[in-house]
Amino acid sequence: MSYEVMVGNKATATGVKLARVKVASAFPVTPQTTITEYLSEMVANGELDAEFVNVEGELSAQVVVQAASRVGARTFVCTSGPGQLYMHHPMHQTSDNRLPVVMAVVHRGNKGMQPDHTDLMSQMWTGWLQLYCEHNQELLDTCLMAFKIAEDKRVRLPLAFGYDGYVLSYTAEPVEIPAQEAVDAWLPPNKPMPSILPDEVDPSTYGRGWGRGDPQMRWKMHHDAVVGSREVIKEVNEDYGKTFGRKYGNGLVDEYRCEDAEAVVVAMGSMTGTARTAVDRLWDDGKKVGLVKLKCFLPFPIEDFQKIGASVNALGMIDRNVCLGHGGAGFRLIRDSLYDLEDRPSVLQFHAGLGGKEVRVSDVVRVGEKTLKAARGEKVSSLVEWI
Amino acid sequence: MSQRITRAQIPIEELTITPGSACQGCGAALGARLAFKALGPNTIRHGIPCCPDSVTRTPRAGSVYEGGGAMLTGTWRGLKAIGREDVQVVGFFGDGGTYDIGLQGLSAAAERNENIWVITKDNEAYMNTGNQRSSATPKYARTSTTPVGSLVKGKQEMKKNIPMIFAAHGVPYIATASVGYPEDLIAKINYGKTVKGFKLLIIQTPCPVGWRFDSSKTIEIARLSVQSGMWPLYEIIDGQKFKLTYKPRKLKPVTEYLKVQARFRHLTDAEIAQIQEETTKRWIKLMKGDEMGEVIL
Repeated sequence: MSYEVMVGNKATATGVKLARVKVASAFPVTPQTTITEYLSEMVANGELDAEFVNVEGELSAQVVVQAASRVGARTFVCTSGPGQLYMHHPMHQTSDNRLPVVMAVVHRGNKGMQPDHTDLMSQMWTGWLQLYCEHNQELLDTCLMAFKIAEDKRVRLPLAFGYDGYVLSYTAEPVEIPAQEAVDAWLPPNKPMPSILPDEVDPSTYGRGWGRGDPQMRWKMHHDAVVGSREVIKEVNEDYGKTFGRKYGNGLVDEYRCEDAEAVVVAMGSMTGTARTAVDRLWDDGKKVGLVKLKCFLPFPIEDFQKIGASVNALGMIDRNVCLGHGGAGFRLIRDSLYDLEDRPSVLQFHAGLGGKEVRVSDVVRVGEKTLKAARGEKVSSLVEWI
Repeated sequence: MSQRITRAQIPIEELTITPGSACQGCGAALGARLAFKALGPNTIRHGIPCCPDSVTRTPRAGSVYEGGGAMLTGTWRGLKAIGREDVQVVGFFGDGGTYDIGLQGLSAAAERNENIWVITKDNEAYMNTGNQRSSATPKYARTSTTPVGSLVKGKQEMKKNIPMIFAAHGVPYIATASVGYPEDLIAKINYGKTVKGFKLLIIQTPCPVGWRFDSSKTIEIARLSVQSGMWPLYEIIDGQKFKLTYKPRKLKPVTEYLKVQARFRHLTDAEIAQIQEETTKRWIKLMKGDEMGEVIL
C-alpha cells in the first residue's frame, strides 16, 4: 500500500495496471486523453504487461477489446463524449456477447467540451452496467471492482464507470494505492466463457447463431442478467471494503446523513462532493436534509429508493443530464421506482451542471431547502428547475 | 512468392459447412471452400455482414459491419496476450466490408501490420442486401442502385483499385486470386501462411444472381475475367515486389467476358471499346511491373 497525489485519469490508469489488464485500446479524446498516455507509458516501461492498441477511432477501440475479451483476455477501453457516441454500435455487440469489458468514460457533454452525463447516459439501452464516481480514490477502487463484477459468472456483462471530465480527470487528489499482491489475491485472472479457441470450442456453435429458438429470449436473458447484477455489485462492494478498507455505501447508493432526515437530495458523480458540504450546512441550520449518492445507475437501485422513499416526504434529484423531451434520467427512474409505494413522497427535478456549468454549494443548499419545503407540504414554485 | 502446386496437392479435408446459406453456383462459397482447405482447422474466422456468411467449420466470431479490421486486431492481440499465437486469425469479408464501410479499420490494421489474414470475396456489389453497387462494382455494371435508366445506364464510376491501396501501406503480402484458378489461390494461401504480418487476399467470386448469368457458368466467367485481363492475378510482397501469376500470351477481348453477363447487356460498342482500352492500358502497366519485379502504383 502506498499513497500518491494523482489526477483522476492517473487513478484510472493505476487501477488498470493493478488489475493486470491484458489488452487495452483507446483513441485519444479530450478529457480522456491522458489515460491513453499513462497506459502507453506503463506498457513502454514494462510496468504493465499488456497489448495497448493505438487504434484509428473509438469504434475500432471498442471492437478491439470486444474481440480480445472473446478469446479470454482481460480488457479495458476508455473514452469521452463524442468518442462514446461513436462507439455506440459495437457496444451493443459487446454486451450481447456477454463480454466483461470494462470502460472508463470521462464525461464530456454533447454541446461543448465541458462535462455532463449525457455521453454515458445515452448508452442506456446498450445493456452495459453503469457506475458513476465522486472522487479519484473512488475511481481506482471502482476500476478494480468493475473487473470483479463484470467477470463474475452470474453477470458476464460489460461495465462502464463514468467520472466528470476536468473536475476529476485533471484534478489531483491524494489516492491510496493498494499493494499489487493484495489485488492479485482479490482479483483472479479472467477466463473466457465460452472459449472460441479452435481446440476448445463447442462445434455446435459453428456458423451463425441467428434464427435459433425464441428470438425474444435473447433480450429477456440479457435484461435478467443486468437486473441480476445488482446483488453481485453489492457483494463485491462489501468484499472490497473488507479487503481494502473502503466501500461505497452498499455499492448501489451511498446515504449521507439520511437518518432522521425529512427530505433527501440525490446527486451523481463529482457533484456529490459539493452536495456533502451543502447537506452539512443544512443540518447546521437545523434543516433535516440528507444526501443520497446514486452510484449505480444501471441496473437502477429500485429497492433502495423505495426504502428511502418510505422514510422521507420528498426527494430532490439533481440530474447532470437531460433526455431531451423526457427530462432527467435519474428523476424519471426514481419516480418510477416509487410509484408502487402506498404513501408516495414528492419527487422534485433539478437540472444542474450540464455543459459543465458550475454547481456551487449554495445551489445545492437551495435544492435542499426547496425539497424540504415540499416535504413539509408547502407549495413549491415548480416541479422542474434548471439551476 | 507463392510456389506452384498441382490439383492433386489441394488438401482433401473440407472445412465448409454443407449445405450452407449459398445459392447455386455461388463463387464466394467456392472461394471459402478453397481458402479454408488451405488454411486448415487451427483458425478463428471472423465474419461481418457479407454474402454468404455461414460458411466454415471453425470458431466464428462476428462483429459490426464496419469493424472487420479491429475485430481481427483484437483477436490477434488477445491470442498474443494469452500465449496462443499458433491460432490463425482470418477475416472472410465481402467487398463492402473491405472496400467501403470497413476500409478505415482495415487500413489502420494494415498500418499497424497486425498478424492477420483478410480474405475478401469480391462479388462486386452488396449481394447480402440484394445487389446494390459498391466501390468494387466495375464501370457500367447494372446493379439495383445503378439501374439502366433512360438517362443513366449502370454505374458511372471506376472499380476501386484496392490491392494497390494496400500496397501503398507496405504490408508483407497482398495477392489477387480467382475461383477459376484454384491451384493459384491455394498456392497464395500456402505462401501467406509462412508470412507474419498483414496478409490480404482478394478473390474475385462471380455471383450468378447479381451478375445475372446461368449458375453453371461461374467457373467459365471467373476464367474469362482473368483471361481478358479484367481481373489480373498477381502478388505483391512488402508493397514493392510484384509478380503476375497468370500471363497469357494474348489477352482475350473483354467483350467475351462482358457479353455473357446480363449486368453488362446494355453496354454500347463505344462503352465496350472504352473498357477494352482501359483494360489493355492497365495490363501493359502490370506487365511492365512484372518485368521489373516492382509495383507500379
